[in-house]
Amino acid sequence: MPQKAKKGREEHVVGDVSDFPEGTHKVVKAGRREIGVFNINGEFYGLPNVCPHQTGPLCEGKPALGTLVANAEGDWKFEWVHDGEIVACPWHGLEYHIPTGGCIAYPNVNLRCYEVVAEDGKVKVRL
Amino acid sequence: MTDTVARTREKKEKLEDILVVDCDVHVHESPGELAPYCEMPWRVALENIADVQEFYLDIPGFSPGTTVYEAKFPSGQEGTRMVHTAEQMRKELDEIHVDIGVLFPDHFLKIPVISQIDYAVALAHAYNAWLLDKWCRPEQGLLGCILASPHDPVDAAREIRKYAKEPGMVGVFLPCAGLERLWGHRQYDPIFEAAEEADLPVLLHSVTVIHPVFPFNTQQFETEFGRHICSHTFSMMANLVHMITTGVPVRYPDLKVAVTEAGISWVPFLMHKMDKEFIERRREVPFLTEKPSHYLKKMFFATQPVEEPENLKDLVTMLELYDGEDNTIFASDWPHHDFDHPSKVHQIPFSSEVRRKVFGENALRLFNIDANGNRLNI
Repeated sequence: MPQKAKKGREEHVVGDVSDFPEGTHKVVKAGRREIGVFNINGEFYGLPNVCPHQTGPLCEGKPALGTLVANAEGDWKFEWVHDGEIVACPWHGLEYHIPTGGCIAYPNVNLRCYEVVAEDGKVKVRL
Repeated sequence: MTDTVARTREKKEKLEDILVVDCDVHVHESPGELAPYCEMPWRVALENIADVQEFYLDIPGFSPGTTVYEAKFPSGQEGTRMVHTAEQMRKELDEIHVDIGVLFPDHFLKIPVISQIDYAVALAHAYNAWLLDKWCRPEQGLLGCILASPHDPVDAAREIRKYAKEPGMVGVFLPCAGLERLWGHRQYDPIFEAAEEADLPVLLHSVTVIHPVFPFNTQQFETEFGRHICSHTFSMMANLVHMITTGVPVRYPDLKVAVTEAGISWVPFLMHKMDKEFIERRREVPFLTEKPSHYLKKMFFATQPVEEPENLKDLVTMLELYDGEDNTIFASDWPHHDFDHPSKVHQIPFSSEVRRKVFGENALRLFNIDANGNRLNI
């Protein structure tokens, strides 16, 4: 948004805090953007609702889950990590870490993270 | 990265001026030859079949083949060349400009189909001892691979450790035809562990079999044409996929893996298929910290049977598709029916630098040897 730098950041109220219980997420409109808003343990996060892989509706999938890692320190046993912090695109399953926007399979891919705050009972997305 | 395509003005080096390491040539083992090297009671089993008529790579109780199922196809092509001694091998490799040859068996390409575990293990022991005694001649550029029988991986690991410091042994041969469990299964970990520890590369080699396990039900093909294509290439793809999806390259990061006798054109295919799958199913292979093609590209791929497109420049492109200039190795498969004379690979319009790498330098790195065939890691 070209006017952003001059006018400061746009703020969009996207709902009441009660619309986003902990452990849930919802796709909202902020201007022309579709943003997935996630409530993870009371912290709010926002990711674009577009998967850079093939433009799938990234944030319209199931509730956030964790994912698996395995490494030498853990004797290559599967470990469950990032519980409740992973969204998988409903189209092809590509996974992202919600708090950082990082793609799990392809660490060079990073999503834009939108600032989402809860203020006065409202959830606001700042662009 | 250097140019893979030859510049037109560059003078092409002659084949005889290039170091040629041939990563796949075959010795001929027979029951009678191996019997003195075989432990009891299986020595008697070998003596029992020492005089059985041998069809090409097909002896009952030794290397069961297709002869029992089908006609000897009416053809003028004999295709039954065999090399019986180290002297014969040296002479014939000289004739095709090969400086160093890496030795694989004839019959025991099929050793996984042997159903008696103790017998198969005894055959592997006998073969390894015989190979070292009769064939491995580092000073003549003849270097062996330790046969790792899949029947008893703990025993195969012992064999690897037994020969780990032998100047004549430079790799570990993993047979791929008729495997009950693909390479990568956890039961084989002792083999990978021993090979990594010995700094010996593992080399996968398949062959045509009719056997009710992967690769596929090859009895469905009515031709050797169909069976031969699938036996080698599909077997390599299956085994490499399993190794990567069970984490072999991350669990044994210093283990070098090479693939023989499957050509190279499927490598870009497999690379892309696995990377595509990784998008959706990374969580099933969470030990992979890089996309699968990263691990595949660290493996080595032998040229034979090299594809022969009308425009040989397509092969240059093929190599570029998998960053193959540093991991493609020449192989002739001498003396088998589908061997490649190095002149065919020499015709590919590589740059001089890439041509030298493919013909020899990459293999020196794979086997950790110098240009005279001396191991640099013992």
